[in-house]
Amino acid sequence: MRKLYRNIAIVTTVFMLALTVMLGVSYYQMQQVSPLETGVMETLKSLNETNGENESLQQQIRELDLLSRKAYFVKEGQLKVGIYLLLGMALVLVVCLNLYYRETKNLPEKEFDPIDEWMAKSRARKYLGWAAAVVALLVIGFVGVQQLDVKGLLARFSEEGALAEVQDEGENSEMSSEGLAEKVDTLGTDSVKGEAADSAEVDDMPELKIASRAFRGNNASATSAARGIATSWNLSAKKNILWQSSIPKHGYNSPVITGRNVFITGADAKARELYCYDVWTGELKWTVKADGIAGSPSSMPKVNADTGLAASTVATNGEEVCAIFATGDVICADMEGKRLWAKNIGQPDNHYGYSSSLLMYGNTLIIQYQNNSNAQILALNTKNGNTAWSKRGNDKISWSSPIIATLGGKTALVVMGNPAIAAYNIGNGSELWRVECMSGEVGSSPTCAGGVVFGASEYAKCVAIDGATGEVLWEASDYLPECSSLAATKDLVFCATSYGMVCAYDAKTGEVKKEHDLTTPFYSSPVVVDGKVYLFSNSGKVYIFSASTFDLITSFDTGEKTFATPAFTDGMMIVRTDKSLYCVKK
Amino acid sequence: MRKTLTILIGIIYSFQAFAVARFPKPDFTSGYQYPNIVHSAPYELFWNILDVVLLVGMMGLVVWAAYRKRSRTIILSMSLVSVLYFGFFRSGCVCSVGSIQNVVTAAVSSDYHLPWYVLLVFLLPIVFALLFGRVFCSGVCPLGALQELVNVRNFRLSRAVSATLTMIPWVYLAFTILYAATRSQFLICRLDPFIGIFRLGGDLGVMSFGIVLLVMSLFIGRPFCQFLCPYGALLSVFSALSWKKLEMTDKGCINCALCSVSCPVDAIRPPQDSKTNEERKKGVKRIILFALLLPVFTLAGSVLVGSQSDALSLAHKDVYLYEMLLRQEAQPELEEPLEVETFHALGGDMEELKAKVDGIRSDYSFYAYLVGALIGFVIGFKLLKLSLKRGRKTYEIDMARCTLCGKCFNYCPQNQSTRYTISNRKTIKNEKTIS
Repeated sequence: MRKLYRNIAIVTTVFMLALTVMLGVSYYQMQQVSPLETGVMETLKSLNETNGENESLQQQIRELDLLSRKAYFVKEGQLKVGIYLLLGMALVLVVCLNLYYRETKNLPEKEFDPIDEWMAKSRARKYLGWAAAVVALLVIGFVGVQQLDVKGLLARFSEEGALAEVQDEGENSEMSSEGLAEKVDTLGTDSVKGEAADSAEVDDMPELKIASRAFRGNNASATSAARGIATSWNLSAKKNILWQSSIPKHGYNSPVITGRNVFITGADAKARELYCYDVWTGELKWTVKADGIAGSPSSMPKVNADTGLAASTVATNGEEVCAIFATGDVICADMEGKRLWAKNIGQPDNHYGYSSSLLMYGNTLIIQYQNNSNAQILALNTKNGNTAWSKRGNDKISWSSPIIATLGGKTALVVMGNPAIAAYNIGNGSELWRVECMSGEVGSSPTCAGGVVFGASEYAKCVAIDGATGEVLWEASDYLPECSSLAATKDLVFCATSYGMVCAYDAKTGEVKKEHDLTTPFYSSPVVVDGKVYLFSNSGKVYIFSASTFDLITSFDTGEKTFATPAFTDGMMIVRTDKSLYCVKK
Repeated sequence: MRKTLTILIGIIYSFQAFAVARFPKPDFTSGYQYPNIVHSAPYELFWNILDVVLLVGMMGLVVWAAYRKRSRTIILSMSLVSVLYFGFFRSGCVCSVGSIQNVVTAAVSSDYHLPWYVLLVFLLPIVFALLFGRVFCSGVCPLGALQELVNVRNFRLSRAVSATLTMIPWVYLAFTILYAATRSQFLICRLDPFIGIFRLGGDLGVMSFGIVLLVMSLFIGRPFCQFLCPYGALLSVFSALSWKKLEMTDKGCINCALCSVSCPVDAIRPPQDSKTNEERKKGVKRIILFALLLPVFTLAGSVLVGSQSDALSLAHKDVYLYEMLLRQEAQPELEEPLEVETFHALGGDMEELKAKVDGIRSDYSFYAYLVGALIGFVIGFKLLKLSLKRGRKTYEIDMARCTLCGKCFNYCPQNQSTRYTISNRKTIKNEKTIS
């Protein structure tokens, strides 16, 4: 009989293990599934949003909804039955094991060996003493790490080590661009030639604390926390120029900075590419191609020469970087240049070429995909490219880029298009408010300061909207931008037009406070940095204004056409021209 | 027996309320009017009285079974009733183990109402422990009973390791007190490994831990009671001071060691003569040293845990929310957590929250030093206790560890002589064959 009990126990154990695995898998699957958020359901719901009165469609959604709920509960029921079965098996196992050991259970489990209790106590003292000491040391170590900020110290140490020579030249804590450039040169780096700087000393240079993770900075806010940006430089004389690098393929997109990486894209009829440069050396660290993507068009779409195939600026969250091209191809790579995923979201029906820039919020990638047909806002998961949510609407084509703003104390997505400026819940895409105030071809992007959203387009007007309520505060139409976007402080709104006029509106009233006729077109957007407004004209002339008065502080020609908006970080500015990428540093 | 058990479990499950997973209502209206659902108040008073009556009754029965009858069968029957009633039927709540938290919270907060039955559920096992030892652990606590029922064999850990691991329940108890006193969370309820089994659902991680403990219980006696249970740690103190001390037999110990081998929780101490070669002077010196170090351990524990009060305070939801808000302010590009979104949506005031958080942190600072001192004291005291040597002539039950499972009664040949059965004869035959 013992043998029988043993065999039953073994068989039960095997069945229990198999059932446990099956239940585990089933549970995991249930956790992954959102029964009411399937692709079909989402599509039907979005159709329902556009055809609100379609009774048969609503009936279809109800039926599918019911079916999904039933399926979920049936599966849950199965899981419960599985648990009962498992408990029953456990009972059988315990009973069988008891019966199996019944005849031997009254026997001593080992030879009688009087335990030397004193020895056991001595060992226990030792174990307990050691365990207490280890725990105490761990806590002390933890306290030490908290107090010392080891990471900060290491960063400072490496920075100091690598740049000691430069600092010794009497510049106090400020690093001069000449010194750094010289340092980089001595390390064998020639950024213009794009040779690799493989020296450990260059690698030791610190990551930059201030990022610029999207078009016009973090959250596309057109402001930067950077300080100590140079107000004069000379490309040909290399004055205040840390490095200048060539760009393999053309594009109008703007640079983006995170850590020590600078990202831009380029494209031509043959290839579409994402580039990563080193912020300290200008070295091209890696290139990721947007190729082999299912659904990608075999021939390039027709685009305007002023737009090109790579007009959209990339976005990053510090872990992933995503890029989009005029073909509708979206690619995502990690910071080491490994392509994580790629997908085609549909070739845009766009007569100039797709140009809206990307934006990231945590692990969500926002794409304003408003073309001649199928206008929508897409939110993709940056980890896998899956759609987190999408918002379809009746908006017309636009070339504007989204921004993230704090409205009424809440973080929201603001999108400007034709015919509306609208705010959305960034978590699920639900609309917070919508103001229909735009018309024509909207290429400019909105901005936000002090909870007020500002938007302007050449074929419409300049509007200020209360971000909390969606109420229009004022409207103006004195000067309106075509491609350039607005920048704002809590007092002034800065506008650069494509016919050479630049102005500052009063942020409270919409009255023009100051204007300058600069007689040169602007496609690049103004950015507010360290109390100044930086603005590049198409010809490459730089204008630097006071952000409080909009008085012109200085202007000079860089000699290279510039359509992109510069990116700012700690004491540095990265500028993309139609020929090259360069870094300005004092 | 097995059939009866299966039927009983079936009946118990049929009483379980099947929790309905929450789904949102459909996104658009259909004109359907949702009925007003009226929930009648549950008749809890009856169940609370029944809980207390059963608790006292079962503990009384265990005392009778252990002290008078020396019957493991009665104790096992109590275990079965406890698992079925307190475990599956009452879903493991209120239990004496968790009641520590209610009592601590009520002791430090004037606005916290402590229900009478919770106080009784907490106090009655302590009263019984002071009189008869850990009667509650025996066959009344559903957590211990479940482990007892599934136990098949006992593979004991080394006594030294086991003695070291018995410190864990004290650390667990200390943190339970800290989190309850600061009204952060009820740690025991959150980490109860068997509650998921009694309720047939719960947090996957905690449930898995419970299943691992149950599998361990097949071959190790009551791992949760021995190495984790904070209430067991508390009861062990009162049990050590108990009025009545349990004995394996009333016919005198013959030093056969069978009881010691059989004990699943290593609670039976063997006779001890002066086997060690250590000089008496050295032993005395050690005792004096540990006695002097006791305040040092207490102080060190207090300082170490107290220094972490800020980090520990993150267990409080308000402190955690405050830190989240600060992080969001510093890095606005990060995805806004739902908590932050809700805080803003409800018009939360950051200054108000900060004032609240300062108060909570100040509480943490005080209680962290206190529980740190407790941990330090317990470790120091344990080291001192491990340095003491006491001679014994026969096998004795260590009342602090004994869970009154009654296993030793069946092993003791003195008891067997009065219950000589065919099966015992067979056993002894086997024993002879083996030897």
